[in-house]
Amino acid sequence: MSAAGDSRLKPLPQGEAAPPESVGAASAANSAIVIRADALGKEYRLYASPRERFRALFTRRALHRSHWALNGVSFELRRGQCLGVIGDNGAGKSTLLKLLTGTIQPSTGRVWHAGRVTAILELGTGFHPDFSGRDNLYFGGSLIGIGAEQMARLEPEIVAFSELGEALQRPVKTYSSGMVVRLAFALVTAVQPDVLIIDEALAVGDQHFQKKCTERIMAFRESGCAIVFCSHSSYHIRHMCDTALWLDGGRVAEFGETEAVMGAYEMHSRLRGRALEMPPDAPALAPTATRMPAVDAHGACLMTVRIDDLDEGDPPLLAAPDLVVRFTVRGRGDECPNLGFMIELAQGSGITSLATHEEGARPVRQSDGTWQAVLTFPDLPLHSGEYVVSAYLFDETGLVLYDAWLHYQRFRFVSPTLMPGLVRLPHRWG
Amino acid sequence: MTVLFLELAQLWRLRALLGVLTRREVHARYQGSAAGVAWAYVQPLLTVAAYYLVFDIVFGMRLAQGAPTGRVGTYLIVGSLPWMAFCDAVGRGTSSLLDAGSLLQKNALPPALFPLRTVAASALVYGPLLVLLVLAYAPLHRFALAVWAVVPLLALMVLLTALLAWALAIMAAALRDVVQVVGFALAIGIFLSPVLFPITLFPAAWRWVLWCNPMTPVVLGLQALLLQGAWPPPAVWLALLAWIALLAGALSLLVARSREQLVDWL
Repeated sequence: MSAAGDSRLKPLPQGEAAPPESVGAASAANSAIVIRADALGKEYRLYASPRERFRALFTRRALHRSHWALNGVSFELRRGQCLGVIGDNGAGKSTLLKLLTGTIQPSTGRVWHAGRVTAILELGTGFHPDFSGRDNLYFGGSLIGIGAEQMARLEPEIVAFSELGEALQRPVKTYSSGMVVRLAFALVTAVQPDVLIIDEALAVGDQHFQKKCTERIMAFRESGCAIVFCSHSSYHIRHMCDTALWLDGGRVAEFGETEAVMGAYEMHSRLRGRALEMPPDAPALAPTATRMPAVDAHGACLMTVRIDDLDEGDPPLLAAPDLVVRFTVRGRGDECPNLGFMIELAQGSGITSLATHEEGARPVRQSDGTWQAVLTFPDLPLHSGEYVVSAYLFDETGLVLYDAWLHYQRFRFVSPTLMPGLVRLPHRWG
Repeated sequence: MTVLFLELAQLWRLRALLGVLTRREVHARYQGSAAGVAWAYVQPLLTVAAYYLVFDIVFGMRLAQGAPTGRVGTYLIVGSLPWMAFCDAVGRGTSSLLDAGSLLQKNALPPALFPLRTVAASALVYGPLLVLLVLAYAPLHRFALAVWAVVPLLALMVLLTALLAWALAIMAAALRDVVQVVGFALAIGIFLSPVLFPITLFPAAWRWVLWCNPMTPVVLGLQALLLQGAWPPPAVWLALLAWIALLAGALSLLVARSREQLVDWL
């Protein structure tokens, strides 16, 4: 995915509405703009008590303290572009998504969009448990602007996609949580949107359905749908988005080409002493090893990820100049899986992360159906210290994370060089 | 007032959705019960039947001179059926926004849809019952021409109820206690109306209190129509219009002050 978007996409001057000439030009040159935020702001009025809030309905006097969750946010997105929204907790990401979706009203500025806006947020919470899936489908459709006639045409496709079959006639309260999100996802994505707004989770359900979700979202994008994607997973943002918007305290801290913004954001996070959120969807860095179980028991998973030449110490010492990692994984069917590997300092700063799909490498299929790969760091260019590693298993596209072993192995390394530092960079003396 | 018209224009565009929401509201109330929607009609019908049997057939109670009709049961039914409709719509309407919180937080919909669909659902249940009432009272008014006044009278009642339910729903979103207060007000409101006693039985000095109940003009109008076949007096129309103007003014203020934050309160 190229980052070609940034030359065409410029942030509007913050804190003021778009100049009239740019709006005029929009009709001609920028006809492909599908969503635009102009100086968007959202003030939350905080009242000392609900009684004060009630009184405020009947008086002009200001009885509240203002909290601006979002202030002067402007941007525009064109067909096929993907915008990643990043920022710390409480930076205003959710508020921005809700304003773009239209569920809450902005206090200043406005949102303009062309065509259909679909949001994938909290799927399935609007279903009535006593009604059948089909009934909820028609009702849910009417809430997002799909009338009964259109729904009758879409129904077979939705049933096929959600794989509910006969269960569609049963009350939703008899559904498993997976069935509910499958139905909800199939419903909201039944019609191709012009703008798709995704909060956090790209995919829902089990591995099989997660793949279908990402395929559908990618198909939307191929056919010109713009995507606004909010996530803590810098991996997914980097992988999908061509532009990124970093919100800090409700204001735009940086906006532009993804890698530049992500780099600035990660620097900011590091300076604030926070753990770097490198692993996709990883919980806050835990000093102890954690193994997230694979999402379903018979699906793809990491089987062994062994490091050669570790001794018996605690943590073990790498007793060889090379770091050799041997992966054995189970994939999904005949699909070629992708592998990721990350090395961090034991205190939790990322040093490097690598993935097969980023480098054009492929694991090798074994006769028993599993896949193997060997990752070698020749003459491991690290200085002496204690390190921790994580392993990841992705699908063919690199978008669905099937399995992750976070910080599953620590090791010590004694570098042959005695100079201080962290890594030995490739270098040359002139 | 412009705010209100903007809201109404938006609602008009979404009238098909309002229809869907209304049908769903009626069905959802009785979903899972064997008789289903029939319960909505059975409860008021049984109440009306009980009044008739107890007061007119079993005890044969009579009202004093000056009342619009002699028979107590016949008198009670005319006032209590619209009063039940009013309580149903206003009671449920007050909590309608709070109940729809999760839907509103997930979908870009105008909040006003929800109090209005509650009122529409009540109208769907009580409308046919009121038509039956008009027909059942035919022997009393002999299809006098004045009975047609029931159409504007009920239309104004629906408008009044919708405005009140909408306004109370916004207040309830700001302060949950409003739901309790409204429940209490509806429970005692029947005594501050001519539903149970003819207005002539109230001490003349205290009759103004009755006009503080927005349903008083509706009940008086219906009693004139159905019991006497007479046109409702001008005071009825004036009081109704005054209430509607007052509520519309208050509502547009509430909408303007809450518009931006309403969904955050749910």
